[in-house]
Amino acid sequence: MSEQPTLEINALSAGYGRFDVVRDVALSVGKGEAVALLGPNGAGKTTVLRAIMGLVKQRRGLIRIGGTDVSALPTHRIARGLAAIAPEGRRLFLDQSVEDNLLLGALHLRHDKARTQTLLASVYDLFPVLKAYRQRLSSFLSGGEQQMVAIGRMLMSDPEIMLLDEPSVALSPVAVDIVVKAMLELRKRGASLLLVEQRTDVATRVCDRLYVMTHGEIVDEMKPETIRSGGMSILNKYLG
Amino acid sequence: MLQFVLSGVAIGSIYGLIGMALAISFYVTRIINFAQGELMMVTVMVTAELASSGYPVWLAALAGLACSCIVGILSYVIAVRPILLSNRFSFGWLVSTLGFAVIVENAAAYIWGPTSQAFPPILNGISLPIGGAVLTAQQLLAIVTAAVLAAGFEIVRRYTLFGKLGMATAADPEMASAIGANTTIVAIVAFAISAIYAGIAGLLIGPSTFANPYLGDTFGTYGFIAMMIGGGTERPIAAMFGGLLLGVCAEGANALINSQASDWFPFIVLVLILIVSPKGLFSTSNPLFRPRRVAVTRG
Amino acid sequence: MAPAFDTQSGTAAPRLRIGRWRAAGLAAVLIAYLAATAYVAHTDLGLQSLVLVAAVFGILAISLDLVAGMLGLYSLGQGGFFGIGAYATTILANDYGWNAFGLLALVLAATGLIGMAVGAMSLRVSGLYFAITTFIFTLVLTVLATDMVTVTGGLQGLLGPAFPDFPASLEWLGTPLVWCIMLALLACLGLVWNIRHSPLYPILLSIRDAEPFAEAAGARTAAIKVGVFGVSAAMAGGAGWLFSFLGVVSPSQFDWSVSLNVLVMVLIGGINTSIGPVVGAMFVSMFPNVVNINPWLQEIVYGALSILAITLLPDGVVGIARRALARRAGGIAPAAEAASAEAMPTAPATAASPASPTDSEVIVECRGIEFGYGLGPKVLRNVDLAVRRGHIHGLIGPNGSGKSTLANVISGRLTPHAGEVLLKGTRVDGMPASSRSRLGLRRTFQAAQLVKELTPTQNVMVGLFDRVPRIVGRAPLWPMLASGRRDLAAMQRRASEALSLVGAGDWTARQVADVPHGIEQLTQLASVCVAGPDIIVLDEPATGLSAKEVRHLAAILANLKTQGVTMIIIEHQTRFLFPLCDRVTVLNAGEVILTGSADEVRADPVVRQVYLGE
Repeated sequence: MSEQPTLEINALSAGYGRFDVVRDVALSVGKGEAVALLGPNGAGKTTVLRAIMGLVKQRRGLIRIGGTDVSALPTHRIARGLAAIAPEGRRLFLDQSVEDNLLLGALHLRHDKARTQTLLASVYDLFPVLKAYRQRLSSFLSGGEQQMVAIGRMLMSDPEIMLLDEPSVALSPVAVDIVVKAMLELRKRGASLLLVEQRTDVATRVCDRLYVMTHGEIVDEMKPETIRSGGMSILNKYLG
Repeated sequence: MLQFVLSGVAIGSIYGLIGMALAISFYVTRIINFAQGELMMVTVMVTAELASSGYPVWLAALAGLACSCIVGILSYVIAVRPILLSNRFSFGWLVSTLGFAVIVENAAAYIWGPTSQAFPPILNGISLPIGGAVLTAQQLLAIVTAAVLAAGFEIVRRYTLFGKLGMATAADPEMASAIGANTTIVAIVAFAISAIYAGIAGLLIGPSTFANPYLGDTFGTYGFIAMMIGGGTERPIAAMFGGLLLGVCAEGANALINSQASDWFPFIVLVLILIVSPKGLFSTSNPLFRPRRVAVTRG
Repeated sequence: MAPAFDTQSGTAAPRLRIGRWRAAGLAAVLIAYLAATAYVAHTDLGLQSLVLVAAVFGILAISLDLVAGMLGLYSLGQGGFFGIGAYATTILANDYGWNAFGLLALVLAATGLIGMAVGAMSLRVSGLYFAITTFIFTLVLTVLATDMVTVTGGLQGLLGPAFPDFPASLEWLGTPLVWCIMLALLACLGLVWNIRHSPLYPILLSIRDAEPFAEAAGARTAAIKVGVFGVSAAMAGGAGWLFSFLGVVSPSQFDWSVSLNVLVMVLIGGINTSIGPVVGAMFVSMFPNVVNINPWLQEIVYGALSILAITLLPDGVVGIARRALARRAGGIAPAAEAASAEAMPTAPATAASPASPTDSEVIVECRGIEFGYGLGPKVLRNVDLAVRRGHIHGLIGPNGSGKSTLANVISGRLTPHAGEVLLKGTRVDGMPASSRSRLGLRRTFQAAQLVKELTPTQNVMVGLFDRVPRIVGRAPLWPMLASGRRDLAAMQRRASEALSLVGAGDWTARQVADVPHGIEQLTQLASVCVAGPDIIVLDEPATGLSAKEVRHLAAILANLKTQGVTMIIIEHQTRFLFPLCDRVTVLNAGEVILTGSADEVRADPVVRQVYLGE
């Protein structure tokens, strides 16, 4: 890849308290690329995403998004168009409506009404069911629909890189399928994705490359084809 | 009967405003600002001082509100933010906001002396007979202002982007910052608004109590009770309902039991309410008044 | 203060010598304290009242620290109990001529009972709301004292009774009240110091920081909280009794601001330390007399100091001093790698093919369990599970399938909406977690529930709570009782043994906050094993462990199995789990899909699709 990657991480260490959960992580996501971070519970995948968003107080190393060094920026500055996250547990603003949740995602674009409306239309285009439910309190939605709102809220800030933390967790097979199709559609629209997953099948369907993480370190990098053609056993070695 | 209900509503709307002020800052930061009563006192003292030195009352009142706004923001910067940064769940804020209250109160006593001073009458002297009862224009003004401020707060909270952002920050500050909100600014604005609410309460009650540096203690306590009775820790507007209930209880006790009863009767009410519904009468956890909302699904 | 436990280090002889030095030091401190008391008892009234007020507030601060520091219950009711004690004493002694010491007994009993009632009421709410309800308790009492003018004298207050004189033979001692107050302070210090050196201390802290852990170890946490709160209230009431002899009793001396000031004392001096509260009380109560300026400026300085103290010294004065001392003493970390293969238990590796009886009786049984959180969807639907004695039973399923919920239902954290849970044939689904512990059930938690500021040894001792008789009853006098010292030594020994057995023996003396994640998990396991349970529920024990640590864990579990322990293990890492298991149950979306041997589960196409993702 000749051009600069959308997301570039080098020598990242991050954690809470006295111990680093994540040590010396290096990874990159190119423009329009989708990359997965696989690994067992407690491997530090979520911490990597949180460190990119600036949600981990203690982080060292280089994090660059679209050429901007964000490793010293506060979260709310990173969230203004550089990175956006659909976090673990979705974390919607449950006492607000679907549309309010989405509009809050476009907080930094509040003076640009036209762009906000275009983005909103594109989210409803991606998830037509949300348009029908737009005035509903988000706590009334099913798990799958809540995940759609979380992804929609992330899209609304029109970020350089989208971070998705286990979007398939605790969803029915049908809902997982919808979420996967949505991610594929995002890829078609040219989005760059960093996906944290435990489900290998979801990751291989969506992503170009996969990093394997265990114990806070990236231990391997592979292509989905490797896994499909029998690499599963290698992967199982890491994932247990 | 009608008389004590009306005057109860009038004084209750003052308590409700202070309760709402407490609740607004609690809503965003999850701490109770024990200096809230002092913010009200600052407005009263500054207004009285400026009015007595010849400035027009409206200008004095505006200056008073501005001062309590500044002191309110200072209370956040000095007494609240350092605590929140170190540990969100420790009770250090109890000590630091109380310390801030002590500073403000005694600074006022040092500057203006401990005795009461005259407060400019705003609408005193006029009174309106309603049914068999009498309501002064001052009381009517308090009721109307409180109603407007309470309704205004709800409208802003529900229908403006800033209000929605405030709700988002209250519900999940970390996620709010992850959608681009500067939560520090949101908190500062919340403290400024709460200082203005407390200050307006001071302007409304000033003509009856006069200007005294120790005003903040009494009214801060009543505002706190209003918030607790109503359940303002979950919804600021509930503090207004709590305030009205408190006012009517206090005036009712005075009228029906004896003239001292307003000192203790509200507390009995408070204890009874907290036994029945520990988070307040109009809180979301009270089964009687549960607003429509479905429990959070596990995710 | 000396460190709590250091018996792990050194051999017997130096320990004895240290013990002797400590006893000598303690005696010296005591003599100095008594000499100072004698000095105050003979000095002028001004200094006396200064010291005595500080001492009374010292007792009050200790009473608050007992609940706030050790249990995390930030009570603002101390002012109220203080006032009850002072008013009851004043009124009954002045108007009815009751004997002062008879009143002391009455005050202690009454405030203790009121404290337990308030505590029981307030326990429905926690954290902030506990502070608020106790705050309101004080508020109500202040208002009553102000308004019941005929009884309490209103705002003017009442003149307190005179303290009884010494008999003639003791008059050389000086002012009797000084002796009484200073000895009371000493008694309170001693009481708290004893508790801090008893096995109750780690249990109290675990109730504060990790309540599920304490419950799972068999502690009736609600009862302990109410009881300790009662003791704290009685202590505050006793302080009120003492205070009534110092002069006028009026509402302003125990209103809510006093409750808050007591909290300031505790926080400035150092919360959860033995002498911190007294240091804070001395500072706060003597401050006005030492800083002799305009009273308003003085208050301003006081306010500023309390803000500064709380923002700059979150651990208080004593905390700072202790940290400085600790830095000088230093400390060497054990080798970084946690569970080294050498530290392996002496277990023969029988993991591969467990030779356990396949037809032993069912020891844990769930029938038709239904559960959901709040009004949300059902998390468990008609779940049946039968675990046989001596088996390792695996529980797998995707995230959110209800595995942890089922573990909570079995161990008693959650009560099922429908269905039955049976342990050894006894129906337990209505029982609290603490009672299930007595039936021999223990559990570990996915995120280790431990007290970070204690050592692994102390945390493991929590696991022995219901194996040692009358810990709560003996705690106030613990180090003075021969049985106490013996039991403590035995508990420490068993805890260290359990830690060595799981391979964490090198880490016994450090705080849990300073140990790696793997050691935390092993400490948790040791705290369970130390009690010798029949059934252990393990919630994701291998999470976050290195490959080496996982192998080590597997060996430990296999070893436990040879001792006849039944285990239910929730785990994601099937590579770790399957070789250990006799039976595996697969959950998906709250329903049991399949129960069978590891091979049957591995071969099942539905399981492969749903869980293994193939």
